[in-house]
Amino acid sequence: MSVAKSSKTPALQVIRWSHRRLIVLTGAFMLIAINPFLNYFLQIDFVQGWYQSLGIGSLWFVSPLEGLESLLITKSVYMPALVGMLIPVILAFLLGRVFCSWLCPVSFLLELLDRLRRAITRRRHLHNKLVVAKRLLWFTLIAEFLLSMILGAPLFVFLSPPGLVGREIMMAVFFHKLALEGVVLLVVIVLEFVTRRMFCRTFCPLGGLLALIGSHRRLVVQLDREACTHCGLCNRSCPMGLQPEENEAKTAYCWNCGECLESCQDNVLAFTWRKNGSG
Amino acid sequence: MKRRFFLQLLATGLSGLAFSPRKTGAAILKSPIGTNRLRPPGAVPEELFPGKCIRCGRCVEVCPYRSIIMLDIRYGIHAGTPFIEAENVPCYLCMKCVDVCPTGSLQRIRQPETRMGLAIINTFTCLAYEGITLCRTCYDKCPFVEKAIRLEQLKPVIDEQHCTGCGICTNACPVTTADGKKAVNIEPIYASDKVTP
Repeated sequence: MSVAKSSKTPALQVIRWSHRRLIVLTGAFMLIAINPFLNYFLQIDFVQGWYQSLGIGSLWFVSPLEGLESLLITKSVYMPALVGMLIPVILAFLLGRVFCSWLCPVSFLLELLDRLRRAITRRRHLHNKLVVAKRLLWFTLIAEFLLSMILGAPLFVFLSPPGLVGREIMMAVFFHKLALEGVVLLVVIVLEFVTRRMFCRTFCPLGGLLALIGSHRRLVVQLDREACTHCGLCNRSCPMGLQPEENEAKTAYCWNCGECLESCQDNVLAFTWRKNGSG
Repeated sequence: MKRRFFLQLLATGLSGLAFSPRKTGAAILKSPIGTNRLRPPGAVPEELFPGKCIRCGRCVEVCPYRSIIMLDIRYGIHAGTPFIEAENVPCYLCMKCVDVCPTGSLQRIRQPETRMGLAIINTFTCLAYEGITLCRTCYDKCPFVEKAIRLEQLKPVIDEQHCTGCGICTNACPVTTADGKKAVNIEPIYASDKVTP
């Protein structure tokens, strides 16, 4: 360990990003986990839906990819859908893929799985058995749109793991059965044992779209090159398989989860708000 | 796992799809809409519906009567779309689902102008037409009294001008034939409207 070299701030002041993130993830998951019960048993329909489209009162959110698919396939514009996409798109434009790391229910499940594995095996990070080129994310996005346009039906709307979590919970509460397409979730979880966040980093079209929107985001993880001791802890901590040590966290693939910030012993990584999209 | 092996696995899976039995292809695209199987009120024609609907399930969650159910992957590309089985729970036209639809798959429409389908009486099984009893259950239950269903010589008659296809008559009908249908059934004739030339 290279802690011996004195860091600027004491280790006590390191912000526990992973704790904060887990709290936000849990809250976001609880929202869609409790809501079907409120709807079904108490007939409180103030909140409806899940992360495909969430309605809180008259504040509507529409997932950008699903909205875009619907728009492209029917070639018609519907204002409420566009307005609902506005907040998620602005969020992605400024902060990048934060939906994926801070809100997505699949991310919550995988995070739990991570913690469970850590508790059982004591090994901090799973060895990545298969590392696929990061660029595959863009191919996934393109393939998804092409396939949907060819079939003339949106595919991601009923096969999206983030949406499937909500749908399975709702199906279980409302109809006391699970939908068969939930196996997609199982596949995502199995892939997690091959490589950390295998699905998220390469096969999630929604993640691809959000990464594309946020490729010139304002919030980035900035590396202080002079102070970095190249200990490699951040590289190992990154769930997306990036190398913050090489300043790779500024690329489009980073989802601003803050794991590398927490792992850094020398505090050379920090969230910074850059003034313009480049630099 | 070797990268090559993984890619081979992926390619095998994809080519396996192409060799799947021919019936699968038709079943994936086939619409589940049919007799007594309806879309919620204000739905766009079936040609557009699976493309427009983003399967967010908000209509299912707000429906106070639990009329709307959700399809799963066995219905192919229609997985996750809302669906009403009229003989089980009909639509009571409260229009709450229409108010929450974020994509315009369900469009706002006044109650009397809703056209989910058209009720059609099977005169071979209807008790009133067969002369078995003086049944007028559908006439009594219809929310558009003396408009959508009238009695002519003590037999119910449907008026196309007023029937919304809500399915309340189907739900109430005491006759159930061997194929699970009722003596009055809703045919979603408006769902097959063409939108593209």
